[in-house]
Amino acid sequence: MSAAPALVASGISKSFRAVQALDDVSIELHHGRVTALLGDNGAGKSTLVKCISGLYQPDAGRIFVQGVEHRINSSRHARELGIETVHQTLSVIDPLDVAENLFLNREHTRGGWLGARIGLLDKGRMRRECAATLARLQIRIPSLRRTVGSLSGGQRQAVAIGRAVAWGQQIVLLDEPAAALGVEQTQRVLDLIVNLRDQGVAVLLITHNMDRVLAVCDQAVVLYQGRKCAEVDVAGATKDDLVSYITGARSTDSGAGI
Amino acid sequence: MIRKSISEKASAGLPSPVEALIDRYRHNGGLRQYVVYLAFVLILATFSVILHDDGFLSSSNLLNIGRQAAPIAVMAVGMAFALAAGEIDLSVGSVVALSSLVAAEIVGNHGFLVGTLAALGASALVGLVNGLITVKVRIPSFLVTLGMLGIISGIARNWNDLQSLPIRNDRFSGMFGAGGLGPVSSLLIWTIVVGALGHIALHHLRWGRHVLSTGADRDAANAVGINTARVKISALVVSAAAAGFAGILLAGRLSIGRHDLGEDYLLTVIAAVVIGGTNLFGGRASIVGAVTGALIMSMLNNGLILMGLEVADQLIARGVIIILAVALSMREAKES
Amino acid sequence: MLGALLAVFVLAAAACGNDDDDNSSDTPATAASATAAPATAAPATAAPTAAPELPDEPAPASEPEPTEPEPAEEEAPTREAPVTQGPNGEPASPSSEIALTASELAQIQGGDYSAALLWHSAAAFTDAVSQGARDAFEEMGIEVVVETEAGFDPAQQANDVETAMALNPDIILSLAIDPVSAAEGFRPAVDAGVQLVFLSTTPEGYSQGEEFVGVVTDDLAAMGVAAANLLGNALGGEGEIGYIFHDAQFYVTNQRDQAFKDWIEINFPGISIVAEQGLADPAAAEDIASAMLTRNPGLDGIYAPWAAGPADGVLAALRAAGADDVAVVTMDLDTNVSLDLVEGGNMVGIAADEAYEIGRTMATEGAYGLLGKETPPFVVVPAIEVTADNIVEAYRLSLAADPPQEVLDALGG
Repeated sequence: MSAAPALVASGISKSFRAVQALDDVSIELHHGRVTALLGDNGAGKSTLVKCISGLYQPDAGRIFVQGVEHRINSSRHARELGIETVHQTLSVIDPLDVAENLFLNREHTRGGWLGARIGLLDKGRMRRECAATLARLQIRIPSLRRTVGSLSGGQRQAVAIGRAVAWGQQIVLLDEPAAALGVEQTQRVLDLIVNLRDQGVAVLLITHNMDRVLAVCDQAVVLYQGRKCAEVDVAGATKDDLVSYITGARSTDSGAGI
Repeated sequence: MIRKSISEKASAGLPSPVEALIDRYRHNGGLRQYVVYLAFVLILATFSVILHDDGFLSSSNLLNIGRQAAPIAVMAVGMAFALAAGEIDLSVGSVVALSSLVAAEIVGNHGFLVGTLAALGASALVGLVNGLITVKVRIPSFLVTLGMLGIISGIARNWNDLQSLPIRNDRFSGMFGAGGLGPVSSLLIWTIVVGALGHIALHHLRWGRHVLSTGADRDAANAVGINTARVKISALVVSAAAAGFAGILLAGRLSIGRHDLGEDYLLTVIAAVVIGGTNLFGGRASIVGAVTGALIMSMLNNGLILMGLEVADQLIARGVIIILAVALSMREAKES
Repeated sequence: MLGALLAVFVLAAAACGNDDDDNSSDTPATAASATAAPATAAPATAAPTAAPELPDEPAPASEPEPTEPEPAEEEAPTREAPVTQGPNGEPASPSSEIALTASELAQIQGGDYSAALLWHSAAAFTDAVSQGARDAFEEMGIEVVVETEAGFDPAQQANDVETAMALNPDIILSLAIDPVSAAEGFRPAVDAGVQLVFLSTTPEGYSQGEEFVGVVTDDLAAMGVAAANLLGNALGGEGEIGYIFHDAQFYVTNQRDQAFKDWIEINFPGISIVAEQGLADPAAAEDIASAMLTRNPGLDGIYAPWAAGPADGVLAALRAAGADDVAVVTMDLDTNVSLDLVEGGNMVGIAADEAYEIGRTMATEGAYGLLGKETPPFVVVPAIEVTADNIVEAYRLSLAADPPQEVLDALGG
């Protein structure tokens, strides 16, 4: 990928009282590439994601989106910049149907100005666009009118990811998207990630599962006790390599910024 | 690289309408959503058999049932929104009284339209205060609205020294109780109008979807950028405004404003809403169900009286039937 | 109107649709809380419904004032006993005047008539009235097809009238909860020509002989007089008493309390009311009585406005103070005060009304209406002075029941 990085986070530090959760961590996400963010529990993975998605304000460091520096101060701000996050806990609304979830808080309305003002939903248009989006992402859902609560875990996760990218979002942060899923459902989510990558989306994937990293990721950033200890091309790495970085047995990176 | 399986069946073929219906029935709650209608038909049939020669099925009595359900039904629509948003409004009974008094006070001096709007406005204001305290001070709404119940009841009692305020305005009475289209009471028409508006608001307005989302999973709703605080406030405003409208209907029917109108309606309203399939703890609501629940309450009242039961036996029978109906709708809810 | 309703939904929807002005709603918050706040400081007036075991009549449209027809009497040196008068100053006729002749009874019995009992609330008083009416209707061969109680809700009462009309009753016995709205609420029955007989209050604008047959009530003034007599005689006409009255706007208790006070002042010049205290919350009676005793150690008697609650509290205060020589009177029969009365405690008497007789009289007036027989405008049933000697009979007359077993046991022992 020769284009400018979709996102650059540089020299990010964040501490909570006495605990230094992140210490001068830098990461780059590129269009059409899947970057794994690895590390043991408490290594600082979720903190980094939250700094990028606007939930935390870093103590130090700079964030560039499509080459422009921003101070991201809320999740809404992050979304406006094209950054979407799918959190570990599902963020779909069970009693709403698939299309309603996909368009939640971005609903299409009809009835002109008044319709927009009172929020008269254009359900037909939302279903059509929802069907198109799901088809583009090759997500298969039995019926768009089904409530999300009646879907399987994999299908629900697919809806959550689908929502993240339905809006032309170019940067997607996935926090353990397959944590609670079975084998087949996990596979579908991985397929979906590959699919996003092929459409030019920059993906950050947090996971503990090395097989998944090897299967779908192009690049891996490893955190150890709040510091970046390794940045490797997945193509040239083995599972044992990755595990040894995570446990802190090996390091490729001094921790200095890029 | 892995590139298999799911792509072979992209969501191209949409199912036929019948299949879609069956699919929705099976997956969107099954029998549960229809329990209230089943109960309605069952109770109607039972009374029709028992009371076939006691005038139960006469058209005038059936219209009575509809008319008498009106205030409860209107309040139930509002309460369904409060519950859907994950809140509860215990102050609705006192708002009924307040609204009737405001209407009586103002209709006399400033006419029918100003009086009606003032009553609705005062009620909505109560809801706004309920909502703001609930959301901004973070006190559970059942405590806020319980306090508000006391405050508004006190204001209503002091309003005219516990005496009724007469309303002498034929347009007001005709519009909200005494009049109607042919044999169909204006109360029945208003019930249908409010029910339809509520149904549309819940299913076809962005706001209704956001209310449901907020009640179902506030964190998730916040995560997509919904202002859940404002949604909760607005749901409590709608609940109070609906109670205010019920107060207007009672004021029109009886031609008075009075401090104790609606005093005992709260539990009937909640029972009607829950029987109608709305979750007491948010995230699930049915407006048509709530209105049907109110009709069931009214029908029970009417039928048990016509059966000639003594007052104590009426109370027992009504209580047993309500518990059965609620148990049925809750049981189904758990299974799904 | 549809527009206004729509506006509510629209406003709510619009308010949520626009997320840019998060704090816009803060300003009304403070304003609204500020207006609501003073209301919390306002003392709540006691509700009529907060007084348990009362005869449950709300105030009529215009309250009868004892001195209304002959105002000159108020200034007269010797005042007469307080009397109960009709809402429009009608003289009271005793219920004993209301009876059917044998031929009238036969005529009614052959008529296949039906009646509806649409009561205002459920209480021992209502039960006794209802039982009296049912017994009288049974003797007249009139079927009671429906009975309701509206829980003091005028809207529910209007519903009950509509519902009862589905059964086409010939007679309706009722108490108009709210005289103003009852004019509208009973309209379906009036239009259908049903014979209406009211208890205590009548709908505003209705006149006797036109919309309704008659009105029957308990003799509230006579109850006050009875209580005064019981206490005055127990004290031998001499002494200092405390007077606890119901401090709320409630026709029944206001009438009875005032009549008691008036009759003590008129008929017992040797008795002085040295302490006077209003009671808004029945639960506060014990505190009030204790305070009275503290300030007036020489107190000989206390009047409590009704039995269940106030009189119980007074008795508790007297027992706590060991003041077993203070005489107490109150209104309405209730187990605790009855037991104290028969066991020779502080209670020296209870004034009660003949609720059962009210029901019988109302039923008979309904028959008057069917026969087209002229009814006196305002009929009262007498009050009973209850002592340990007549308590069994008093229970039967007042509540159409035997005294509770505890009271019977105490009498037997």
